[in-house]
Amino acid sequence: MFQCSQNVLWINSLSLWWSCGCTDIVFMLLQTHCLVYSRLQSLGQETVPPASLPSTDTEVNFPIGFGDLNANLHELEDNDLDALMADLVADLNATEEKLAAEIEGLKVPSPPPSDLPPPPKGLSIQPASSLASPTSPARGTSSNVSTPASSTASPLPPPPPQSSKPSKEEIEAQMKADKIKLALEKLKEAKVKKLVVKVLLNDGSSKTLMVDERQNVREVLENLFEKTHCDCNVDWSLCETNPELQLERTFEDHENLVDPLLAWTRDSENKILFQERGEKNEVFKNPQNFYLWKKDKRALKEIKEKDKELLIQENFCGTSIIVPDLEAVLYLKEDGKKSWKQRLFQLRASGIYYVPKGKTKSSRDLVCFVQFDNLNVYYGKDFKSKYKAPTDFCFVLKHPQIQKESQYIKYLCCDDAWTMNLWVTGIRIAKYGVSLYENYKTAEKSAVSSVWTNRSTPSSSNPSTPSPTIKAKSPSQANGHAPKPQPGPVSQDFDNVPLPPPPPPMADMLPPPPPDPVLPPLPPPLAAKSSPKPATPQRHLPSNFPPPPPAMENLPPPPPPPPINDASEAPPDFLPPPPPPPAAGYGSLPPPVSSLPPPPPPASFGGMDLSLPPPPPDPGFLPPPPPRPMFTGAGGAPPPPPPPPPPLQPAAPRPAAVRPTGSVKKMPPAPPKRTTPAQHGGGGDGGGDFMSELMLAMNKKRGNN
Amino acid sequence: MAVWDLSVTVEDLGSDAPPVTLSVASDLHVGGVILKLVEKTQIKRDWSDHALWWEQKQRWLLRTAWTLEKYGIHADARLVFMPQHKPLKLCLPNGITLKLRACFSNPVFQTVMGICRMLNIRHPEELSLLRPIEQKKKKKDKDSAEEIYDLTEVPLSSVSRPCLYNGMPAHFADSTQMEAIYKMLSVTQPPPAPEVIAKQYRPASVVDKAHIHGRWLDSSRCLMQQGIQENDRVWLRFKFYAFYDIEPKYDVVRLTQLYEQARWAILLEDIDCTEEEMMLFGALQYHISKVSQSEPQMLSSSAAMDDLESALQSLEVKMEGETSTASEMLVRQTEYLLPKRLTLKGYKQYWFKFQDTSISYFKSKEESIGEPIQQINLKGCEVAPDVNVTAQKFLIRLLIPAPEGMNEVYLRCENEQQYAQWMAACRLGSKGKTLADSSFQSEIQSIRSFLAMQKTSSSSHGNVPANDESINTHSLVSPRYHKKYKTKQLTPRILDAYQNVAQLSLTDALMRFLQIWQALPDFGLSYVVVRFKGSRKDEVMGIAPNRLIRIDLGVGDVVKTWRYNNMKQWNVNWDIRQVAIEFEGNVNIAFGCVTADCKIVHEFIGGYIFMSTRSREKSDTLNEELFHKLTGGHEAL
Repeated sequence: MFQCSQNVLWINSLSLWWSCGCTDIVFMLLQTHCLVYSRLQSLGQETVPPASLPSTDTEVNFPIGFGDLNANLHELEDNDLDALMADLVADLNATEEKLAAEIEGLKVPSPPPSDLPPPPKGLSIQPASSLASPTSPARGTSSNVSTPASSTASPLPPPPPQSSKPSKEEIEAQMKADKIKLALEKLKEAKVKKLVVKVLLNDGSSKTLMVDERQNVREVLENLFEKTHCDCNVDWSLCETNPELQLERTFEDHENLVDPLLAWTRDSENKILFQERGEKNEVFKNPQNFYLWKKDKRALKEIKEKDKELLIQENFCGTSIIVPDLEAVLYLKEDGKKSWKQRLFQLRASGIYYVPKGKTKSSRDLVCFVQFDNLNVYYGKDFKSKYKAPTDFCFVLKHPQIQKESQYIKYLCCDDAWTMNLWVTGIRIAKYGVSLYENYKTAEKSAVSSVWTNRSTPSSSNPSTPSPTIKAKSPSQANGHAPKPQPGPVSQDFDNVPLPPPPPPMADMLPPPPPDPVLPPLPPPLAAKSSPKPATPQRHLPSNFPPPPPAMENLPPPPPPPPINDASEAPPDFLPPPPPPPAAGYGSLPPPVSSLPPPPPPASFGGMDLSLPPPPPDPGFLPPPPPRPMFTGAGGAPPPPPPPPPPLQPAAPRPAAVRPTGSVKKMPPAPPKRTTPAQHGGGGDGGGDFMSELMLAMNKKRGNN
Repeated sequence: MAVWDLSVTVEDLGSDAPPVTLSVASDLHVGGVILKLVEKTQIKRDWSDHALWWEQKQRWLLRTAWTLEKYGIHADARLVFMPQHKPLKLCLPNGITLKLRACFSNPVFQTVMGICRMLNIRHPEELSLLRPIEQKKKKKDKDSAEEIYDLTEVPLSSVSRPCLYNGMPAHFADSTQMEAIYKMLSVTQPPPAPEVIAKQYRPASVVDKAHIHGRWLDSSRCLMQQGIQENDRVWLRFKFYAFYDIEPKYDVVRLTQLYEQARWAILLEDIDCTEEEMMLFGALQYHISKVSQSEPQMLSSSAAMDDLESALQSLEVKMEGETSTASEMLVRQTEYLLPKRLTLKGYKQYWFKFQDTSISYFKSKEESIGEPIQQINLKGCEVAPDVNVTAQKFLIRLLIPAPEGMNEVYLRCENEQQYAQWMAACRLGSKGKTLADSSFQSEIQSIRSFLAMQKTSSSSHGNVPANDESINTHSLVSPRYHKKYKTKQLTPRILDAYQNVAQLSLTDALMRFLQIWQALPDFGLSYVVVRFKGSRKDEVMGIAPNRLIRIDLGVGDVVKTWRYNNMKQWNVNWDIRQVAIEFEGNVNIAFGCVTADCKIVHEFIGGYIFMSTRSREKSDTLNEELFHKLTGGHEAL
């Protein structure tokens, strides 16, 4: 059921797939199906009531839906991918030429080309790696606009306005510099990997989110906190399980999440769990158990808080991190053999050592067993039966990329759970050092602040969102089970809702109806109230085909828009206050931007999110919640919103674009997505787009039914 | 009141001059005596630093308002009138001897404060003086040849209120010689010749180490009282291993000397470490000595680079990298799990290309546009050299992680140049960096310099080029490894460790060295041989910054640990020279000290407790009174 938890998806712009190479595409699509399917099944039970469809029906339907989706995608592949690619390449070439032309003195000629080609290379190991963004829109003009907005808004704005009239040379130089920067940023952005990850919760349900390659586990956890409304205590962790090797490991909060996931094989049954793991931060709660482990346990229990603090101070706050001085006889599974041999091991900051037979324990005689640079430590599950281990308290050291049985995996077995935890924690301290303590402190802070945010969120969401469903859910429901009762399932939990409908309506979904509704209103206000000049140009750009193509050239104009947006933001003319403004800006921009920027936007959003999150509450839209309200609205009248966007986009960029027909559908999706993420403003999770689309699709479907 | 004769020897008149006799009354105060004395000598000079030393009682008469009666001085007293500051030969942690004027009249604690002020070392409370190990008479000749840096000309007044000039105390800016001295203090010394290391005294056991710790001077008494004479030699060392608030910006000298002390502790096996750790220490020493010669530029370059500039630069490098690194190599791929056979036979020639973090290879250059035969992503792989310069063998061994395990691949390069380039690329790739990374060139450089080391050491018997790149790797490890490994064997091992530290700046490298040192299990332990009350055998007490440990000499094991934060009180019975400590939970221990005076143990314990109080008070001023309270014993009270 939960087989494929790892998926690479760029729903917004299907065109993105091209970068992965055909085989990869197929593979990924398949995985997607699995994912969606499994989710549907799981959801089926929960969501059924609202949908009013019998669970069986839903299941049946979905497969069909997948078929459609599949077909769609394949279609894309055949007809449009090539076109997309052509667009993209053309676009890039254009950019490149311009860059080259503009920047004569600078040696930046071929940067873009070099970067772009790489994607296809990716070995099997890196199925996910691909150009995240550039694709879909493929409209030269739009790209320009988008970039400024997405990337650093501050630098760009100033130059453009001035450049038009005042001192030329300096400004030009500045602009060149900015452009180069931009181009470089784009290139970087283009390579950002994203994964759609399914995370299993304790109750058997799951959440799906999009993880950006630059996100660390902490950020993902924060996302999950928002989605699950759990208590956010410091024990919450993401864990990786490997059923084949019967291993599991808690990710450290500072770790990047995408990297380890990329090590999974395609047929991997590995899972990611969202769980409370007391052992993760146990060393900070009871440092005496690790640093004074030799003392008798009764004395350890009676230790005073003050002494605990002192221990942490001594071992984690000095110039050097002190690793617990562990020494124990452990069982070692000899390389490739079935037997377990006892050895006297010692843990040092530099690695694990053992005392060779007949030698003393003096440091100089120790033999290095492993060092930690390339190894991770895992808990072994049920090794007694699997490997005939003396006990079930085993841990394992292996390179994260190793996923199957291998002589390079080191198996160790301890007498009891206490010893095992001692060693695993000790190894983590040796490997990660002060990061662990920093993680803990961050988690503590977040746990405290979460209390407040949780409270505030519901309240804010309520006012903003008319739908009663939301209220009910957000406050009380933890894991999205609650959704059932609500009539408006869609609005409730993203996770649950989106899954069912999405597959079939893919095409429909893409059109991002939700954003559109928002967008339309925004533009007018902007133009009318906010700085008129900048605003207008912005509008024009998208609408005018000619300007867009010369993406780079247009740069000057694009920058202005962002500033405009800002200006508009300042005066809270728009209903959707602070967070929305950016969103609005993007919303307007997206169409134009679509070609190059797509990838960057997500990234930039991630960055922006941080700043944005606070504002959202004001307007009534909550970063995470906001989408819902909108959607719900959309759900009510899904058809209306969608139509608007498509027309706009096609009008502006499309004309120039290579692909005439099928493309239209795809195009819309891309722009909307951006808008959605922006609105989310939620901790940099791009997943929102995906989800929102799914929801939309679902609504539609229901509506149809 | 009766007048009597007091004879005072005036040191400045020369050792042969007869004592000056004064007629004094018992109610004359010391200041009056000095006044009379100065008048009588009829020498006009600045006498302000001079004071009276009472030889029989071994004490200074520093309270000028006290009368002779109050001091208990009678006609039989032998007094010496001499300066309180006298030249002292100070052996620094870096092994270099400095001559400076130190205070002989104040408690050693203050003497050290004065010395540290002169040398620009913050937190003098962490340092102290100890008597040197007696050297054999033979070596005396050598000592005379030893260069001594002279700081005796520094006016004491300037030291008392130091001001910084160019980041160093103003008195170092006076002349080029003085600047040279400051450089000696603040720049790490080049690795010592292996013979020098081998010749140094090395403690062979815990008991030997304990004897060294018996040499610490008493912080609460002055140098004169401890038999230190003018021009005597003492060691300045970090005594308390609780280094507070190290700030590289202000602690240049402190950091350098701390590193030197740590380095020598490693080289002389004063602290034990494993072979792997030794190699890492070796690599860091190599790196530090290399970087310290070129550091000034590095400081400025890294900070000054502007975003765009660096972006452009990296782009440039990338372009270059991608065009220039496609070169021809021989490859032989071993099958999974096959034992490695390094014969030339198994190698086949392919065209290789390095892109991003991957290596791809092709049948020939012509086919390199198409699909590669295989592409290997190096991210997370292990890269090891297998090089023999004399045999012209340049192998790169790659251990590439895959879901099924690790795949072993050997790349054979044609020459040194190619090897250095590809090795550097592989190293970067393994860390997930591309050729565009700014460290690519420096990585190549360091690989080449290591190759050069191997070259010189293997063909060394003749003319060794005095190139500073060529360091004898035996200079980087303790003598134990001189015997265990030839330099040729040692070089690749150190190089291996080096790749993890090669990118560190000087300060970071120093800090890393200190961190690894501090993370050693035995770090910070000062040993004393003791005899516990009621026990008949000698045992060893290890005194650490946060705890005491009891070591059984027979087994060499730690038998018991007591932490200071559980300590309720400690006392010294000065009559029977016994230290008694009470811990929470009614734990009482008492022991007499064998290899050191119990004052030393008392001072260590009190000193560490003092050190731990520092963080709480935010003030930068040293609470000298508290230190003496905690360490002084009955004499201070």
